[in-house]
Amino acid sequence: MTKLLIKLYRVILAVTILALGVVAERTGLMELLSDPYEYPVIMELFIQHLYMVTVSMLFATVIGVTAGILLTRKRLRRYAGICMYIIGLGQTIPSLAVLALAMSFLGIGTKPAIFALTIYSILPIARNTLAGITAVPPELIDAGKGMGMPPIRILMEVEIPNAMTVILTGFRVALIINIGTAALAYVIGAGGLGDLIFTGISLMQTDKLLAGAIPVTLLALFADFLSELMGLLLVSKGLRLSD
Amino acid sequence: MSTLRFMVDNFEEVLYLSWEHIWIVGIALLIATPIGVVLGIVITKYEQSASRVLNGANILMTIPSIALFGLMLPVLAIVNMGLGKVPAVIALVLYSQLPIIRNTYTAIKNVPPSLVDAGRGMGMGKWKLLRELEIPLATPVIIAGLRTAAVMNIGIAAIATYIGAGGLGVYIQQGIARVYPEMIVSGAILVSLLAIIVDGGMALLERLATPEGIKVQRKLSR
Amino acid sequence: MKTFVRFAVCLIVISALSLSGAAVAGEKSLIVGGKNYTEQLLLPELAGILLEQAGFDVTLKTGVGSSIARKSLENAQFDLYYEYTGTAYTLYYKQKDNAIMTDPVKIYNWVKDADAKEGLVWIDPVKFNNTYTLMMSKAEAEKLGIKSISDLGAYVSKNPDKLIFALDSEFWERPDGFKGVMKTYNFRLPAKQVKKMSVGLTYQALKKGLVNSAMGFATDGRIVAFGFMNLEDDKSFFPVYNPVPVVRKAILDKYPEIQAILKPIAENLTTEEMQQLNKAVDIDHRPVHDVAMDWLKSKNLIK
Repeated sequence: MTKLLIKLYRVILAVTILALGVVAERTGLMELLSDPYEYPVIMELFIQHLYMVTVSMLFATVIGVTAGILLTRKRLRRYAGICMYIIGLGQTIPSLAVLALAMSFLGIGTKPAIFALTIYSILPIARNTLAGITAVPPELIDAGKGMGMPPIRILMEVEIPNAMTVILTGFRVALIINIGTAALAYVIGAGGLGDLIFTGISLMQTDKLLAGAIPVTLLALFADFLSELMGLLLVSKGLRLSD
Repeated sequence: MSTLRFMVDNFEEVLYLSWEHIWIVGIALLIATPIGVVLGIVITKYEQSASRVLNGANILMTIPSIALFGLMLPVLAIVNMGLGKVPAVIALVLYSQLPIIRNTYTAIKNVPPSLVDAGRGMGMGKWKLLRELEIPLATPVIIAGLRTAAVMNIGIAAIATYIGAGGLGVYIQQGIARVYPEMIVSGAILVSLLAIIVDGGMALLERLATPEGIKVQRKLSR
Repeated sequence: MKTFVRFAVCLIVISALSLSGAAVAGEKSLIVGGKNYTEQLLLPELAGILLEQAGFDVTLKTGVGSSIARKSLENAQFDLYYEYTGTAYTLYYKQKDNAIMTDPVKIYNWVKDADAKEGLVWIDPVKFNNTYTLMMSKAEAEKLGIKSISDLGAYVSKNPDKLIFALDSEFWERPDGFKGVMKTYNFRLPAKQVKKMSVGLTYQALKKGLVNSAMGFATDGRIVAFGFMNLEDDKSFFPVYNPVPVVRKAILDKYPEIQAILKPIAENLTTEEMQQLNKAVDIDHRPVHDVAMDWLKSKNLIK
């Protein structure tokens, strides 16, 4: 029975890929991509999209990890719950609204978009940093203290490496949401691949729609894969083996 | 506060859009839950397909929402249902699969094997085990999965306005187009409120669905 | 488990009730569609109020792009909506005859005949012309000595990197849109000088000086309010855009009174008044429904 299901799964996968190819051809996606006037426009939008994602993720990671670490320090630990709750509330606001609100206060264009994206990406990173560091077995920290490590060394050599898997998961989640939300930034005048998607929707031009939707999806899938790679690099072998 | 005035002045519209929003999310969950739970149960019995199904659902959730909504248009245009609530609901159903399937799978897998053994020892067949032991014990976690799906869907449904589905996203869309900050803020607040209320409601449901025995067990072990 | 089942049953019952409620309302019900800018929120609202007064049960579905609105009408997802003669002529029928499209009567008759074959009926046109315009702030236009689109074209050809233009994606793509303008007026604005955004934001972008020129709609109240001027279309690139209610034939046959009900809008709404209505919504931020009601009352169309 299981073998049958596996075979069925493979067939479905193959059919889906073939169907996508047919769709791409019939909707003129191939022509659009090879059109010499359109192609540089699409590339430009792609780069715009990447730019927004990269810059906002950079800020969000720095701020998020720092905030997460700070909230685990002795003096600030009691504020951890409240802070996380407040940031969590921010997450219930739909991504589109955060962009729209940024526009009302900061105007149109890429700057408010990056601001909104940064804010939206901070939570998963901060929350996971906090959870990851809190979950480090106290025996390890004790061992560090016993070895005479000052708190900063304990942080860098014990707490962070052990929390890395969890922090990376938060980073991954934030990155994927970020890529998707950046597609909405078109609405406030920031360009990006959302331009193609919204144009395609509003004019019912499937080729444009796919020219936007597919790269965004691929970008998100690639980001997922990239995060796995980062895990290989940043998480020490010993911890990885225990997974 | 001017935003409050806006909501009070347009109270009827606020109610109408909120209802539209709830309707879309509600129908999506109604459809997604049986599918997700059944799939979750199935993959606990057929281990080998588990990782594939979970991967597939994971990929679905990785697709950015506006892209998925957009993709619904040409696909459903074939049956003349390209616009409006139908593609929105379908996309939301797809998004909800991962939390529901994953939680169902994990929950049933986590039923203590000793209990399953005891049940078998009492002569329970496969179906009876499922119905009377595994599902009741797994229900709280399944509902937790539904809760995640519900809150997620409420946020995503705000984007569905752009494919004509209506809902509270209309306030955000129109607020942007008319450069009307009070409208945007109203839309944002209403959606967030909705998410918080639903989250709280489902947390309550989670507690109600936990069998008494487990509640006692949890209290004792604290 | 039991609680869950009960919860699910409740949800199903509620949905079933609301769905059947909708079905019962099907008696004399109409779906009026509209696009995604203020004028296309006001026109369906005006029509909707008059139709409801005549005993119809009206649902408004606004906020979509032109092509989607058109498709929705063809697929019977809308029963009627206000379309512009110029849009139908150039966008849906891809026609270019300058002699026809600059004459309001000829273009109206052309699209009316063409759509009659598709089972869509164009009833009474409203008088004003809501054409696309290219706007600039009065101050900047004076400084650069630009009065017409030809002037703009000449300026861009000499200084391709100086001017930034804001528009929405529909205007970029349409045959009666920016690409067409560039072709007719013989200039080419480099892609990076073009900023695309949602349709209402172009006015804001121009007002804040983020761009030097922007696309607009002639009847938008913000043109006057923000001190913009419309560049003259000296080569008559743009067709005439009179809004006309387009109704599905099946619906009009069933309720021929729709034509008479909507006629007062066609007869009474002037360009200036449309601008005022748009302004009331966009700048004074008054609710669409109230603005519509006030206008209808002022014309004694509300009983």
